[in-house]
Amino acid sequence: MLLFILGNFFHVDRLALVMITLVLFIGLCVGSFAYRYLKGDGQYRAFFVRFSLLIGSVILMVSADHMGLLLVSWCVSNGLLVRLMVHKSGWKAARAAGWLATRNFALGAICIATAFALFYLTTGESSIQAVLRQSGLSPLMSLALGLLLLGAMSQSAIWPFQRWLLSSLNSPTPVSAIMHAGLINGGGFLLVRFAPLYLQSPLLLTGLAVIGFLTAWLGTFWKLMQPDVKRMLACSTMGQMGFMFVQCGLGLFPAAVAHLVWHGLFKAYLFLSSGSAAQEKRIDLDYPPGLPAFFGSLLCGLIGSASFSLTSGETWFVGTTTLVLNAIVFLSGSQFALPLLRVQPLRMLPGALLGTALAGLIYGSSVQLITGFMAPMALMQPQPLTIFHIAGLLVLSVSWIGMLFIRKPAKTGALPKWALKSYVLALNASQPHPTTITTHRNHYHYR
Amino acid sequence: METVLLPPSTDRMIDPLDNLYATQVVDSVTSSFKKIAPFWPLKNLIAVNPLQGFEELPIEEALALGHAYFQQPTLPEPMEAINRQTIKWLSVYVDDGQATLPMPMRHLGLFAAWRQLAIHDKSLYGQDMSKRQWLANLPEQPAQALRESLFQLGVPTDEQEEFLTLMLTTLPGWASYIRYRTDWAGLDAHHPHPVTQVDYLALRVIITALLWPEARTLLTWHQRVLENAPSGGNQLAQLQQAERTFRVPLLKQLAAQSLPGPHVPDAQFVFCIDVRSEPFRRALEATGDYQTLGFAGFFGLPVQITDTVTGESYASCPVLLTPNHTIHESPCGTATEQQQNRSGYARLKMLKRLYQSLKYTFTTPFALVEGLGLASGTWMGLRSLMPGLAYRLQDQLVRSIRKPMATSSSWDSISGTDQSRYAEGALRAMGLTKNFAPVIIFCGHGSSTQNNAYATALDCGACGGRHGGGNARVLAGILNDQQVRQELRKKGIVIPDTTRFVAAEHNTTTDEVTLFGDSASGALQQISQDLAKARLTNSIERLKQFPSSRPGSDEVQQTWLRSVDWAQVRPEWGLARNAAFIVAPRALTASLNLEGRCFLHSYDYTQDPQGTILTTILTAPMVVAQWINAQYLFSTLDNIAYGGGSKLTQNVTSKIGLMQGNASDLMTGLPLQSVYATDEQAYHEPQRLLTVVYAPRTLLITLVQTQPVLQKLFGNGWVQLACLEPEDSQPYLLTRDFQWQSLT
Repeated sequence: MLLFILGNFFHVDRLALVMITLVLFIGLCVGSFAYRYLKGDGQYRAFFVRFSLLIGSVILMVSADHMGLLLVSWCVSNGLLVRLMVHKSGWKAARAAGWLATRNFALGAICIATAFALFYLTTGESSIQAVLRQSGLSPLMSLALGLLLLGAMSQSAIWPFQRWLLSSLNSPTPVSAIMHAGLINGGGFLLVRFAPLYLQSPLLLTGLAVIGFLTAWLGTFWKLMQPDVKRMLACSTMGQMGFMFVQCGLGLFPAAVAHLVWHGLFKAYLFLSSGSAAQEKRIDLDYPPGLPAFFGSLLCGLIGSASFSLTSGETWFVGTTTLVLNAIVFLSGSQFALPLLRVQPLRMLPGALLGTALAGLIYGSSVQLITGFMAPMALMQPQPLTIFHIAGLLVLSVSWIGMLFIRKPAKTGALPKWALKSYVLALNASQPHPTTITTHRNHYHYR
Repeated sequence: METVLLPPSTDRMIDPLDNLYATQVVDSVTSSFKKIAPFWPLKNLIAVNPLQGFEELPIEEALALGHAYFQQPTLPEPMEAINRQTIKWLSVYVDDGQATLPMPMRHLGLFAAWRQLAIHDKSLYGQDMSKRQWLANLPEQPAQALRESLFQLGVPTDEQEEFLTLMLTTLPGWASYIRYRTDWAGLDAHHPHPVTQVDYLALRVIITALLWPEARTLLTWHQRVLENAPSGGNQLAQLQQAERTFRVPLLKQLAAQSLPGPHVPDAQFVFCIDVRSEPFRRALEATGDYQTLGFAGFFGLPVQITDTVTGESYASCPVLLTPNHTIHESPCGTATEQQQNRSGYARLKMLKRLYQSLKYTFTTPFALVEGLGLASGTWMGLRSLMPGLAYRLQDQLVRSIRKPMATSSSWDSISGTDQSRYAEGALRAMGLTKNFAPVIIFCGHGSSTQNNAYATALDCGACGGRHGGGNARVLAGILNDQQVRQELRKKGIVIPDTTRFVAAEHNTTTDEVTLFGDSASGALQQISQDLAKARLTNSIERLKQFPSSRPGSDEVQQTWLRSVDWAQVRPEWGLARNAAFIVAPRALTASLNLEGRCFLHSYDYTQDPQGTILTTILTAPMVVAQWINAQYLFSTLDNIAYGGGSKLTQNVTSKIGLMQGNASDLMTGLPLQSVYATDEQAYHEPQRLLTVVYAPRTLLITLVQTQPVLQKLFGNGWVQLACLEPEDSQPYLLTRDFQWQSLT
């Protein structure tokens, strides 16, 4: 009887399973890392208590079916995260960063709570699955979806909600790792959870894609100009979250889940290894590439993208949004081939073609691993291509080409005024919130 | 805060006084920077006394001034915004390769580049167009711009230097890096992004003039701080207590030792003076008839070492010296093998290039993370859960791509005369001029740690924060040269033909010793076995100092695991607990357990009647030991003002240093985990360096009288000098007014 009642509160589907696996695995890695990393720290025990509770509450959150349970576990998780972020409350800047995150999460929680209330009012259901079974969107439902989207944006640091994330680096390294692999993805999870409803609203989907493109571009731009490793990683996460939103907006929700999972692991690893940042030597990439190398690499990109679609199942349909993903794979394949073609491009071309094809296969199967698992949920629904998608794609492609051909001269030559202005603008925009900066050395405290 | 700014004088080109004022400003800048200790970047962290700028003063006064300048719990509030702006601009300017899109125009120099960007920075002047105008019209010469801003702030000329000092000490870490770049840069002197002290202060004072027009009050604030400063005497009294409890038993023990007569052992080992050598030497001596000596780990060779495969180059000598020669290290073996090694390196580089090319650009990182997510997750799990296995796998993988190959050094750039000179100098300085054993091993040292921003702080300080094996190899090679030996014979140093010099490197994290060259030969086989025994003995000892270790099982493995674990914040204790610098024959200390707290420099006063060798020892290695001692001391006393804070929240910035969290001052000094066992409990015992010399008092005192640096260090109380008088075997302590005081 009790089990039956409890069962009503949960819905462990394939999405929940993916998320639970991710959270448990990251929890295990980060936990065992922190077990040694935090030795001697005054908050050692408290850290692990909070850490375990956080893992538990996130698991509750992703397997919740009752909207109330989801909301409560969502708030509890964020609360625990903030407490972990602050870690040592004697440090003013850490407290300020915690406060900034709290305000952001509170705003998100209010949006989500209102959305859930609207769902309940319009459908009379408290179960998410029941809400999802509704067909047709009433204006109130659309409003709720919009609010939900705002909640997701604040959680995933989508522009203009990125400030808390860029100011979150007063946290201990393992907390940043779990945050960038875990709770930051809450926004993506929420969108996928309610995907059947979003798929009924082309307007919202387009909005998602546009805001995603903007964030993806801004995050990457800011990432490329940061002088410190952790803020670089934070800006990069912002960009990656933007891309996850783009994938949702394209109607390719399982692809967004794949992105969320793989990015989470990748970024958690980078945070944990951020102590080696100074030892990383940057290799000169000899830009701009010669034209034979460039065109050779485009050829490789085509092959790479073809082999990617072979294993990923994301086929080339010029009329649908899968084109966007495949175009990005094409650019990446080209970029992958460039270093291979750096010297003697013609002689290296066969090898580069083969290498890119292989990379495409591996990449495709990695995506397929998750999208394939989620296929029964039927959330992969490419949308018709619109001018917005093409514009977004264009911005991403032009920026990529710009990096190849303009960056080098910009390093030594004189720059036009607009470029200098943009640099300063972006530098200022990507600063952490002033109160979260330790302006006086002795304001820092480790106790 | 609306203020009307005076328009800059327009006829500055014809004002002859201008140059004069500018010169005055430059002088003030130079003097103010003298109070700031340099900060070496992460690629070669060198220990320094954070109060180096006050060493000319008695330590009590220096401690009080240090408190006033560096340990203030708060700053006047407007300074906070100024610091935020300074950190923002400085971190992008000095960036050594973190940002893919770096600050534009850096080749012009800090001030010139910043000036062109600052006029677009609204966070400096807000909506105030008169401020923007003022900024845009500032002179192009940094000295003149600085003068103009000081004028704007109304800082009187006679308080100019103090004001500039405060501009530095209110953000001391970043100023320290500028001090390094401008006065101590070594091979960084020709950095592509030049910076001068005037550049930096111009930038800082201009920002101040824009954000806090009343910044002059900083002077009165500082005056108040000085008046309320606690006396340095109290702080010193605490140190003195610890020093006494350490000093008295040590000196008594030393005085009780007797020196055995000369004897030719099976092998002689020369280790670095580093305190970490002492426990290992003790363990090694116990395994056979071995004699060990202590000498500065660069073996007296002022060289720069270049890897001919990677092209990387570094100065491998104390930062007080400039390298005179370049040593080329290349793989040994046949031409084919060398070629294989080179292409192996190229393959590794290609893998990195592939990764970096996808990561550091637009758009493609989205694909990169999806493609590499599974692999990085697996790798993260392995490294976290099974760090030992992960390390072995990585090692195997790298070996399969680039087969490891022994390297050999070429020291052709050192002329024959210089070779003999260095050889003679080194042998005499370490007191090894007769009774040569058949095998003599020069043992450099270095550490091995993972994911550790402070890695080079654990390497050989005498080699400029690098591994010392390269220097050992060159000196061994020089001494195996027949011509050099002939030259030495002429100077009275007769090395038997049967004697062979071998180079080695001691890994201070794992206690593994690598012998370079053909270690398969008979004598070396026995030595290798004994080195392994010593490693075990020392691993058992060192694990006792780590609370979480499991005693009684596989100690060597446990010690090794610390060195390969990416989550380990205390891979080794480094030079923590260092306390004394002992200049004496090893026989005097050989039967004592000095607990790894002493720098040991071999010295035989009977071979040094003029005291020339002793002068070198006290003015070079001892000064380095004092820098190290002071760094550990101050990092322990106040880990925030003088240390780096906790590793947990550190953030590598600009590839050169560390900040706390989002952004902060550059955290100079050692991190919390290097000197504290827990947040509360210090591991390092803060005390000033005690130098003990086994030589006649008369020799010592004449020597001190001729060396200003020694008068400064001993007279101002930065280092304490004790003499073990050979005549009566009694210890004497030098007082601050240079009198010998009997200990008993």
